[in-house]
Amino acid sequence: MTKVTINLTVNGKAVAAQVEPRWPLAEFLRDHLRLTGTHVGCDSSQCGACTVHVDGVAMRSCTLFAVQADGCDVKTIEGISSGNALHPMQKAFHENHALQCGFCTPGMIMSALDLVRREGYELSEETIRHNLEGNICRCTGYYNIVKAVAAGARAMRAGAAT
Amino acid sequence: MYVGQSLPRPEDFRFLTGRGNFVDDIKPPNCVYLAFLRSPHAHAKIVRIDPKAALACSGVLRILTAEDWTKAGLGKLVCVHPMPFTDGRPMREVLRPVLASGEVHHVGDVVAAVVAETRYQALDALEAIDVEYAPLPAAVKTGSAIDDGAPIVHEQFGTNQINEITRGDKTATAAAFAKAAHTVAMTLTSNRLAGSPLEPRSYVADYSPQTDQCTLWATTQVPHMLRRWICKYALFISEHKLRVISPDVGGGFGQKVNFCVEISTVVWMARELKRPVKWTSTRMDALLSDTQARDHVSKAEMAFDNDGKILGLKVDTIAALGAYLSNFAPSIPGNSYPQTITGLYQTPALDLRVRCVYTNTVPIDAYRGSGRPEATWVNERLLENGAREIGIDVVEMRKRNLLKPSQFPYKTPVGRTYDSGNPPLLLEKLVALAKYQELRAEQKRLREKGVLMGIGIAAFLDKSGTGPSKQLSTRGGLHGGFESATVRVHSDGKVTLYSGSHSHGQGHSITFAAIAADRLGVPVEDVTVMQGDTDTVPYGNGTWGSRSASVGGSAIYRASEKIMVKATRLAAHLLEADVGEIIYENGLFSVRGKNLSISFAEVADAAYHGARYPDDPGFEPGLEVTIFYDPPDLNDPEAMHLAVVEVDRGTGRVTVKQYFTVDDMGTIINPMIVEGQVQGGLAQGIGQAMMEHVIYDDEGQLLSATFMDYAIPRASDMPALKSDYICTPAPSNPLGVKGGSETGTIGPPAAIGNAIVDALWHLGVRRIELPFTPHSVWQALRAAGA
Ligand code: FES
Ligand code: FES
Repeated sequence: MTKVTINLTVNGKAVAAQVEPRWPLAEFLRDHLRLTGTHVGCDSSQCGACTVHVDGVAMRSCTLFAVQADGCDVKTIEGISSGNALHPMQKAFHENHALQCGFCTPGMIMSALDLVRREGYELSEETIRHNLEGNICRCTGYYNIVKAVAAGARAMRAGAAT
Repeated sequence: MYVGQSLPRPEDFRFLTGRGNFVDDIKPPNCVYLAFLRSPHAHAKIVRIDPKAALACSGVLRILTAEDWTKAGLGKLVCVHPMPFTDGRPMREVLRPVLASGEVHHVGDVVAAVVAETRYQALDALEAIDVEYAPLPAAVKTGSAIDDGAPIVHEQFGTNQINEITRGDKTATAAAFAKAAHTVAMTLTSNRLAGSPLEPRSYVADYSPQTDQCTLWATTQVPHMLRRWICKYALFISEHKLRVISPDVGGGFGQKVNFCVEISTVVWMARELKRPVKWTSTRMDALLSDTQARDHVSKAEMAFDNDGKILGLKVDTIAALGAYLSNFAPSIPGNSYPQTITGLYQTPALDLRVRCVYTNTVPIDAYRGSGRPEATWVNERLLENGAREIGIDVVEMRKRNLLKPSQFPYKTPVGRTYDSGNPPLLLEKLVALAKYQELRAEQKRLREKGVLMGIGIAAFLDKSGTGPSKQLSTRGGLHGGFESATVRVHSDGKVTLYSGSHSHGQGHSITFAAIAADRLGVPVEDVTVMQGDTDTVPYGNGTWGSRSASVGGSAIYRASEKIMVKATRLAAHLLEADVGEIIYENGLFSVRGKNLSISFAEVADAAYHGARYPDDPGFEPGLEVTIFYDPPDLNDPEAMHLAVVEVDRGTGRVTVKQYFTVDDMGTIINPMIVEGQVQGGLAQGIGQAMMEHVIYDDEGQLLSATFMDYAIPRASDMPALKSDYICTPAPSNPLGVKGGSETGTIGPPAAIGNAIVDALWHLGVRRIELPFTPHSVWQALRAAGA
């Protein structure tokens, strides 16, 4: 299949690549850029494991083609924190035991950050549960994820204030 | 003491930052890709396979069919846990071929495989393979699989019946029923589930012709067993020539225990092509080929005296095992299910018959709970309907029937002995936790306002810690029940544990480190846990059946004890004292009454570098112990759940408002992790109760082949939850721990089902079908004329 050239920014770095038009963005990120933190759990926009930010908005990279990200600014879980430091949301997941196998975790965190962007730092349990409907976790039963997202959002406000 | 503390997990960091190492993340250079052609028919003869056009597709390296497999002289999958007829006849066993040979037996059965340079090329070539099928009638429904005239899945047997297991005493049960004041009868179906860990299965194999050594990265819960199965049954190669690495695994729940049909082809092709080979399941592949679970139809009856005491239980179950026998499949309805069918009650007489059957569906095998949810669904639905028929409150009904602590160890009518427990205390805690009396008052108030609220309970036991090897072998099991551990103390006193268990989310690294750190008197941060590599870990039986804490943990405990015996001997020698004079505290060996001491790290250093060893015969340098620990018994976690629901009469929609759990898991090593296991199990149990359902149409077409059709609980589906624990330590292991991760899946179908019937009893509803979708509940209301 003939390839198409795309130019985009991934985690702050300019990327130019030749892609097949049928490659999902998730596959491009994982197989070609080797950013394997973005996971694929369902290939059909149901589980949210593949959630990344495209131009600041959470999107499912399993059903978005890489060519659709041409000219976009893409952020993946690998771009959330640097070195050994954890982002407050990541830290909240750790402190609240909000992950078991860790497979859904990157997508959960990307969705949680998008939720904070949309709804602010003070999130009710109901808001969190409703907004995480697009992310499946098969391990935790969600209780600790809900706690972590609330705590992470509050910690982000503290961080934003300083 | 670290045991008992909620210590955080060291592995979190890599998952949180996207640096986990899952199998699909592995991409060796020069890797080629496999794709599998799956049958579109539930049952058909394969008339012809023409790979010509596919071979001409670009990038294609191989097209494989059963013929190639047979020509290569290779073997089949294996069923490692057979269940013969109770009268001794062997079960009717059909082992699964790696590529369907002559006939396909379920939609998704593997017909051919393509190896190509890229995944897309492999997928493109699949479409070019021309297969002609001659469709045959399919046996799809479990309940009618052994009816006269049912289509036969495997012609050679002339029947779909695999075996017949009977337990209990038929005559005594008939007598108990004859004198009963009340009986309750029901047909109960346990819905078929797809375990669906979020990470799809994935395998990468890499072969080195120089060393004739192959490495397989696999999403598995049982690296050593998998190595054995591939080598011994499928590919006929020496086990030491295959290294199985199970890196980070994205959930297993029993489903990743199994010897899957695709995996041997991956290893075979890596050896043939001398290039790395990779296959990753799509979600549709997973729903068409991952082993599924449950799928029982039971006719059941319970007899009571005038006071509501159980006199007898009669159960006749048909259990689907799908198109082929998967590894452990027969033992789930044949062993786990009977062992827990009478639950926590004194049931004086039991008449149980289980018939396992073939159907033209995906093979069944283990999935969190395995047999216990099916058993609890039967036992607990009968008990609560009995209570309501007789007019006894469901808590009071249980008080009259529960086993008393003094009755443990308790021999059930199935022949199994429960190790320990305190069911009345569990009930007491549950009633207090849920504020049961207040709930009943609330129910009354709401009923007056026309709101249909219901309260339901499930009391049950799990069966964990498989489990004496001897017991398995007497049943014909082809695997052990022990666990291995190596405790390696390095010369600086730091420790590496190698465990034959395998964590795929359960947090073994901190749990096992805590056990060793306590025994060795070292900081928990100094202990690193290694798992999931057959080249570095001694032979282990892996993680399933809630066995890791009690069996794997005990192995570490015992090995650590041995380390301390040796370290103490060496310390005594170095301090020129008798072993009896040595006190070990806070990482220091000291001599009683003297101002002499030496640290654990110094002793470790001397063990390797000191050369001042004691003269005791047999004293060896080094500080490392490997043991294989075979538990003397299983253990019996027990639990009770209470569900509060509201039912919308118009639509049949059920909302689970509140949920309460009380667990007895013996000693709890890490409360944070155990609570996570309770909650996670609960989501899966609520999934079975409320929405999960693998559906085949009458022709055997799978209708639930994506996550759009196979519903899994989301954050908003989970009820408010309160949990509590009691502790009766397991007598059979040194830690006193019991299994802690399956009770969540066991209770919900029965507890929620009972709550729905409670809400609708006054409208005449007596029966309710899993899963409790609005459609199901609405049907129940209609059937009752309400
Ligand atoms: S993989 Fe994209 S939503 Fe599931
Ligand atoms: S932690 Fe395993 S899927 Fe969420």
